[in-house]
Amino acid sequence: MSVSEKVSLSDALSNVDVLDELTLPDEQPCIEAAPCSILYQANFDTNFEDRNGFVTGIAKYIEEATVHANLNELLEEGNAHAVMLYTWRCCSRAIPQPRSNEQPDRVHIYERTVQVLAPEVDKLLQFMYFQRKAIERFCGEVRRLCHAEKRRDFVSEAYLLTLGKFVNMFAVLDELKNMKSSVKNDYSTYRRAAQFLKVMSDSQSLQESQNLSMFLATQNKIRDTVKDALEKINGYEELLADVVNICVHMFETKMYLTPSEKHMLVKVMGFGLFLMDSEVCNINRLDQKKKIRLDRIDRIFKNLEVVPLFGDMQIAPFNYIKRSKHYDTSKWPLSSSPNPPSPQADLMVHLPQIREEHQNYISELARYSNEVTTTFKEAGSDSENKAVTELCLRGLQLLSSWCSVLTELCSWKLLHPTDHASNPRCPPDAEEYERATRYNYTSEEKFAMIEVIAMIKGLQVLMARMETVFADAARRSIYAELQDFVQLLLREPLRKAIKNKKDLIRSIIVSVRETCGDWARGCEPQQDPALRGKKDGEASFTIKVPRRNVGPSTTQMYMVRTQLEALISDKSGGRRTLRKDLDAATLTQIETFHRQSFYWMYLLNLSDSLQKCCDLSQLWYREFYLEMTMGRKVNKCMVRHQHNEECNDLITMEKRIQFPIEMSMPWILTDHILRTKEPAMMEYVLYPLDLYNDSAQYALTVFRKQFLYDEVEAEVNLCFDQFVYKLSEQVYAHYKQLASSMLLDKRYRAECAARGASTGSGAGRYASLLRQRHVALLGRHVDLCALVAQRINADMHRALDAAVAKFEAGDITGVVELEGLISVNRLCHKLLSRYLTLDDFDAILRESDHGVLAPYGRITLHVFWELNFDFLPNYCYNAATDRFVKCRGIQFAAGVSREKPQQYGHALLWGSKQLSLAYSAQYAQYVGFVGAQHLHALVRLLGYQGVAVVVSELLDVARGLLHGTIAQFTRALAAAMPRHCKLPRYDYGSNGVLGYYHAQLTDIVQYPDARTELFHAFRELGNIILFCMLIEQALSQEEVTDLLHAAPFQNILPRPFAAEGEKPETKQKRLEAKYSALQIVQNVDKYGTAKQGQLSREGDLLTRERLCCGLSLFSVVLRRLRACLAAPQWPAPPAPHHHAPAHTDDTNEFHRLWSALQFLYCIPVGDTQFTVEELFGEGLHWAGCTIIALLGQQRRFEALDFCYHILRVQRVDGKDELVKGIPLKRMVDRIRRFQVLNSQIFGVLARHLAADEERAGVEHVRCFPPPAAPQHAIN
Amino acid sequence: MSTPPRETIQKQIQQDWANREYIEVITGSIKKITDFLNSFDMSCRSRLATLNEKLTSLERKIDYLEACVTKGETLT
Repeated sequence: MSVSEKVSLSDALSNVDVLDELTLPDEQPCIEAAPCSILYQANFDTNFEDRNGFVTGIAKYIEEATVHANLNELLEEGNAHAVMLYTWRCCSRAIPQPRSNEQPDRVHIYERTVQVLAPEVDKLLQFMYFQRKAIERFCGEVRRLCHAEKRRDFVSEAYLLTLGKFVNMFAVLDELKNMKSSVKNDYSTYRRAAQFLKVMSDSQSLQESQNLSMFLATQNKIRDTVKDALEKINGYEELLADVVNICVHMFETKMYLTPSEKHMLVKVMGFGLFLMDSEVCNINRLDQKKKIRLDRIDRIFKNLEVVPLFGDMQIAPFNYIKRSKHYDTSKWPLSSSPNPPSPQADLMVHLPQIREEHQNYISELARYSNEVTTTFKEAGSDSENKAVTELCLRGLQLLSSWCSVLTELCSWKLLHPTDHASNPRCPPDAEEYERATRYNYTSEEKFAMIEVIAMIKGLQVLMARMETVFADAARRSIYAELQDFVQLLLREPLRKAIKNKKDLIRSIIVSVRETCGDWARGCEPQQDPALRGKKDGEASFTIKVPRRNVGPSTTQMYMVRTQLEALISDKSGGRRTLRKDLDAATLTQIETFHRQSFYWMYLLNLSDSLQKCCDLSQLWYREFYLEMTMGRKVNKCMVRHQHNEECNDLITMEKRIQFPIEMSMPWILTDHILRTKEPAMMEYVLYPLDLYNDSAQYALTVFRKQFLYDEVEAEVNLCFDQFVYKLSEQVYAHYKQLASSMLLDKRYRAECAARGASTGSGAGRYASLLRQRHVALLGRHVDLCALVAQRINADMHRALDAAVAKFEAGDITGVVELEGLISVNRLCHKLLSRYLTLDDFDAILRESDHGVLAPYGRITLHVFWELNFDFLPNYCYNAATDRFVKCRGIQFAAGVSREKPQQYGHALLWGSKQLSLAYSAQYAQYVGFVGAQHLHALVRLLGYQGVAVVVSELLDVARGLLHGTIAQFTRALAAAMPRHCKLPRYDYGSNGVLGYYHAQLTDIVQYPDARTELFHAFRELGNIILFCMLIEQALSQEEVTDLLHAAPFQNILPRPFAAEGEKPETKQKRLEAKYSALQIVQNVDKYGTAKQGQLSREGDLLTRERLCCGLSLFSVVLRRLRACLAAPQWPAPPAPHHHAPAHTDDTNEFHRLWSALQFLYCIPVGDTQFTVEELFGEGLHWAGCTIIALLGQQRRFEALDFCYHILRVQRVDGKDELVKGIPLKRMVDRIRRFQVLNSQIFGVLARHLAADEERAGVEHVRCFPPPAAPQHAIN
Repeated sequence: MSTPPRETIQKQIQQDWANREYIEVITGSIKKITDFLNSFDMSCRSRLATLNEKLTSLERKIDYLEACVTKGETLT
């Protein structure tokens, strides 16, 4: 649309209406106070500027309007001065004082002091002038109204109320002036400097300065001046009694809306009575004359012991009474006794009612709001509008009453600070403000406060959303009521007045009608018979009252209400009252109208009223306390000992500008939720933070002080950081606990719970908090979700880091716990990912494992480290249990030094202390051995790549062993072996054979290192071989599980059961059809792009074919070992001629050496000695057998082994005797056992080797060349 | 100043009512526009926050992948 194009009004309006139809989704649950970036409030209060427009009104009231306008301006000015005093911060503390008269720069200092303070001092001067002027004006008004002629005349409600506001203003200003000692200090600093510089040279300014300092220094100056001035006026007490009475009346009939208005009424009562009670007047006597009702006031004062005076200053209105001259306790039975305490002190008394009101109101509002949003109407009927208006007013009144309950509680608490005696949590040296806030509320009270705040702010949001609807209905309804009243209802009294010639009544009614009548034809219908005092005739006369969407102006309202009040007032300046001339029905109607119309101005100013009714900003302000304590904190000697004089030197004063956040109400409440982690309150946590918004708004719009805003902002910055920190910590811990307890075995968990260790995580209601994407704080919008996600992401990294570090600090058995920790973290990540965008879990894991940049990570490295330095040298394998265990006796390797375990918080590991205990008990079962569980965990954690790395490293170690230690020993032992060693004949008997071998092998048997170093080296090799074999088993099992899991998605279905006569193929087909939706490749082909199809096919192939080529890790290991044995480093005997007959007695081959070793370890040991099994486990045998098998000497070994021979012979003769100290039978038993073991090992190896050969494509045709004796060999 | 005839005053007051109604209509419309702007603001913030989150997440993923594929040197 171009700029020049004209848009008609109706187009523009319909354009605005269309805006409603745009959908603007905001996906966050609303759990904070009304966030608004733009605030729009129209103010139509003219302060009687337009009074001259209503020339037809009665002149007296138009004059009064002029007075009102002036008085209102004075009140506003007074408020500005009150703000000035309240927000005054001491300047002189910051100004350097010249220390001596000789100081050279003192003139300069004084000059600057005057320059800085002059504008401030000017404000004080203006304040002094103002109070003079205000008192003068107030007394002038009182004098005028108390004039003997006027006295009995009627004074309007509005007028009395304005006078009441003056009384209140004087009370506030006086108290503020008394309280602010910094004002006096600043002024005296200024005066000293000014006198030194002789700034005030003329006598007049000197006099003014003197006056000002007297004014500031005299306590209760304003109060006393007012009192003195009033006492000179005759009959002032009666006017003040009227003021007090109207306040009592308004208070009792709830004719106020905002909390501050309510408190103002109470203050006026107190201060008003104080002003009245003097030498000439005794309030008790006035009470007797029924001029005032002290019993009613007594009740009010009891119910509201303390009211806020200004900001965080509060006052007990009853204290005014106590200070008055004729104070009589008997007249004040309730207020004067401390018991029972005022209901204001106990929030819990009010809470059930507030809850109920809230419940009822919001359900009604919800019903109405649904109606509005679902049906579109131009404008409702009169009755509908009236109902909505009443609903709105009720809402405002509820908000206001809740708000005042809250502020009154805070005021009471501020005036009644706690101490160590009444609250043991409060330390004896707590600060003043701390005692008034931090320690002054019980946990219950804090929760109740939070709840009430949440209700207030929540309802405010709901009402603000419907503001346009409410305002529209209110305007229409008020217009209709006003016009109906003026145009229709007032006709009858007018007719009677004309008929009975009551001129005054007639003129008032006519004036009312003319002030605000909005006639359908522009002016009053002249043909109306009522105007001639006649009743409506046969030809019924009707007036059509128009309808508009606008309310009356402020002046109109004032005129109408005041003039009507004149009609119904029972005072009329000596004449008979007008009431008597009106009939009862009319009177009731007018009174009803007068009462109801009181609230109209609030409804017409809806957005302003709503804001004022919900304003809780004063919960933060603490200027009074800052002034009182000067922000001082006394630091005392903190050492626990008998304090002596030296300790006094340690007492220092810390001067602060502000109190710490721990004493600040908004943070106390927020922190209380976070601290208690109460799930029911968690969703309220943003409401207390909104108090800062209120305070900041107040600082900007009412106090208009930059420094206050800055302080609020600084506090918010601090609090919000803490808030996010604590919240994310809690959220993380909560979900960690949830994940941990989900993974804990159910029965085990029940068992833990039965023993009092709660492993549950409680209900955490963080979901809606985690969806907050724009939290409004001081005009900024914070993405809470992102902030929490950022922290939790970091926590995730740290937790996995901790898991790995914990593993690194322990031995290889910790791998099971590591896997457990990782899976808990994985579940926690999954749970949190519902709400937060976190990094990919596998990515975090790889990063924590340091596996992103390096080919293998910390876990792999530590596994290898542990294998190499702890597992291989120290563990013994046992096939019966399929476990490796540590030898409890001798250790052959040096102890392993590991990094010291770091201490981690419970949240980073298992979530809570109880869960940590439960899990550590569980994982304690896996310590002390390495078995299938560990290997499975290893395989899952390391993956193919990690396993490959570990195995190839282990092979390197094996090569080192074979070519190093073992080769060395082999050579050494081979030298010690007898050249020939026969198989002795059976005739020698088994004892003979044993003796023979013992003699032959004596060198070997006595070889010192055989039992230690040599066996140890073989054990290490054996452990390597075993580990490789077992890890492959674990790997295959994992793979099979994987494959089975994948099967349904690859169209691999288990064969269905086919009954007799059924075709299994058809059943299979049916199953395939049934599960076709699961088949990935087919589906991707169908719905995906060509590339996706290809990828899925490749993936499928990879999964399907993984095991099919039957790659075997262990075969490869064996092949590599064989290669090592074929290498020149291995001490192999010279190769015999091809297919030479065996030289059975030669001992140069490895199996002969192993036979000798076997003989050695088959010799039984004494009870106190360690057996080889204990010391080395079966690794030893595995090493020997593997070498033999790989060298192809298995058959020769089995045929020629020394021990086997003994066994064979012993089987035949069955002898048992001691041969050279060796018990034969026991030896034979051992041999038998090892023979079984050896053949098992050979069996396993043979299977792998055979499979390997098959795969290598070796032909299965064997050629047997003819045997050739060595002597016949060529060469 | 002589007082104008009653009818003129009544007409003026009626005119005042009409003018004020007009002002109310305009004010009400401005209020509606502010309400709209506020909810538009909220909605945009919500969507932008979601977008921002997605972008951040993608950025982090790219960082990770970059680290995975490079060996020491960074991609430029």
